[in-house]
Amino acid sequence: MVHPTSNPISDRMRSSPAGGASERAAAYLHPGQLFVSADSHAVTTILGSCVAVCLWDPVTRIGGINHFLLPTFSGQGIASPRFGNIAIKDLLDQLAELGSQKHNLLAKMFGGACVLEAFRQRQNHLGMQNIEVARELLESESIPLVGHDVGGQRGRKVVFHTDDGSAWVKVL
Amino acid sequence: MAALKILLVDDSETILQMEQMILAKEPYELLVARDGAEGVARALEDNPDLILMDVVMPRMGGFEALRQLRGNQRTSTVPVVMVTTKAEADSIETGYASGCNDYIVKPIDSIELIAKLRDLLGD
Repeated sequence: MVHPTSNPISDRMRSSPAGGASERAAAYLHPGQLFVSADSHAVTTILGSCVAVCLWDPVTRIGGINHFLLPTFSGQGIASPRFGNIAIKDLLDQLAELGSQKHNLLAKMFGGACVLEAFRQRQNHLGMQNIEVARELLESESIPLVGHDVGGQRGRKVVFHTDDGSAWVKVL
Repeated sequence: MAALKILLVDDSETILQMEQMILAKEPYELLVARDGAEGVARALEDNPDLILMDVVMPRMGGFEALRQLRGNQRTSTVPVVMVTTKAEADSIETGYASGCNDYIVKPIDSIELIAKLRDLLGD
């Protein structure tokens, strides 16, 4: 099981998103969606076993976030951002379209909880699969993962700031 | 070995039919309740292994039903997946506070629903 590590999300807060949020336009991200912007946005999403990968370019201040439910598109059905491999690729493509530079990108990752106590000893629960797909893809793209809050037993509410990559997490 | 039981709680016949269609080929016994109060009663009577719970229902909504389930020792740990709409985004946090384990957004995607259920019930 993955726990928040010695590389904690230093901006994890217990009460409300970080200061400056009122200057950012608000957006809400549903499962299977992704959001990118060259303007400052505070994007909220709620994660159980799902994972959100947040990417931002600190030079251009372009950033985005996805929210995927399943690890890998296997060819059955529609190749949508509900799947981690599609969601991360689409996020990278859309950030590039806005003008971000891949070599500048930094990443944070959230979610992937095992929400059922009886199965928390399993290593292959859906949340863990989602976490591993995200890690592998970020590594293959050489994008540093500079923060994460993943695994555990509880859902999370995440607010991600697209311009500077700061994130606020509330355990539910 | 008896089939795992899933209790579908929704006031919409369309949604219930859709959920039953999606799950028709899965090895689950499907039970139905048409509002939160009936959902709580059926859960106490039939001991489902998982509950799919709509949010907005007459007589008793999903959150109140969930709170009652969590407050009863017999149903305090049954996995509950809330079925929400995009318009109910703010209510998802309430769902977690009420004790749900996960949520799914309408329109329900069959691959997503089956994957979540298999994950929660053990495949």
